[in-house]
Amino acid sequence: MIRAGLAVALLALGGCATSSLVLLPDDDGHQGAVAVLESGGAPTDAVIDSGNSRTALGTRAPVAKPLGAYGLKKQEAALLTGLPPPAKSFLLYFEQGTTTLTSQSSAALPALRQEIAARSGPEVEVIGHTDTIGSEEDNDRLSTKRAEEVLTWLASQGFDPSMMSAVGRGERQLMQPTLDNVDNPANRRVEVIVR
Amino acid sequence: MLRLPWVLGVVAFLATSPAAAEIARIKQSSGIAVVERNAQKLKAAPGLQLLAGDRLVTGKDGRMSLTFIDNTRFAVGPNSRVSVSEFQYDRTRQKGSFVTTVDRGSLAIVSGRIAKSDRDAMKVRTPNSLLGVRGTKFIVAVPK
Repeated sequence: MIRAGLAVALLALGGCATSSLVLLPDDDGHQGAVAVLESGGAPTDAVIDSGNSRTALGTRAPVAKPLGAYGLKKQEAALLTGLPPPAKSFLLYFEQGTTTLTSQSSAALPALRQEIAARSGPEVEVIGHTDTIGSEEDNDRLSTKRAEEVLTWLASQGFDPSMMSAVGRGERQLMQPTLDNVDNPANRRVEVIVR
Repeated sequence: MLRLPWVLGVVAFLATSPAAAEIARIKQSSGIAVVERNAQKLKAAPGLQLLAGDRLVTGKDGRMSLTFIDNTRFAVGPNSRVSVSEFQYDRTRQKGSFVTTVDRGSLAIVSGRIAKSDRDAMKVRTPNSLLGVRGTKFIVAVPK
């Protein structure tokens, strides 16, 4: 009797200490999945793909249960609130063969500055591109110059250069695929990713 | 003779730069929130750059949030110990591998480009399970 009681108590304790997985819909409404590759020391082929579900981990065959009427626990809701904002990407376009921004893209710079200023502990990645006019080597140089130009402008706005990086990818990642030596305004761009 | 220190300097730089590559940055923290790196304990202040192998540790009122260079986002809850056991990312090809170990506490994850790059390129380990992340938002909790 005493032993049985102890066993039940241990089981209950074990139940409390089980890791769990709460799967949620993505922010864009799409539903992703988490595969349970191993559980309780053995491989499984369980794939959890129902949103708003809770799964106890550690059993041989993990099964997702709907969150139900109680929804998320308070600590879980607090955790989600604490997630950083998603990365935001800006595209700036250039005049042919130059590091001069189009007038439209110049006008978009204040929004970029605001986005960085609004973030805590920001990181800024600047990636330069060109269209296919000119040699690959020239375009590697030009794309790098475009990215550096944007970085220099951001630094002039008071952002610490150590939070930013700039690279050029030449004509290797075209926004609109074209043949060689094609003038294409959409490909002459710098992408700025703010995290 | 004068060239030697310069050469040594370059070698030292080459030797240290891959290990010192930033993988993530702290965005917010509150309460007791520390990044453990080898024997160092760094305060998880906004802007702190993380390296592969770092361990995120919070006290009973501690929290921290961070964003990785592949756009993955983490929120670490109180009483947690979470290690970034492996993080490799090629920014150009947008591919890599990412293993996080949750020893205790709670972690919310919104996965980024690594999870999209290859099946189970991103994994999360808990004391009794191994998860393969297939592009999603979720919470892992490991009670004490």
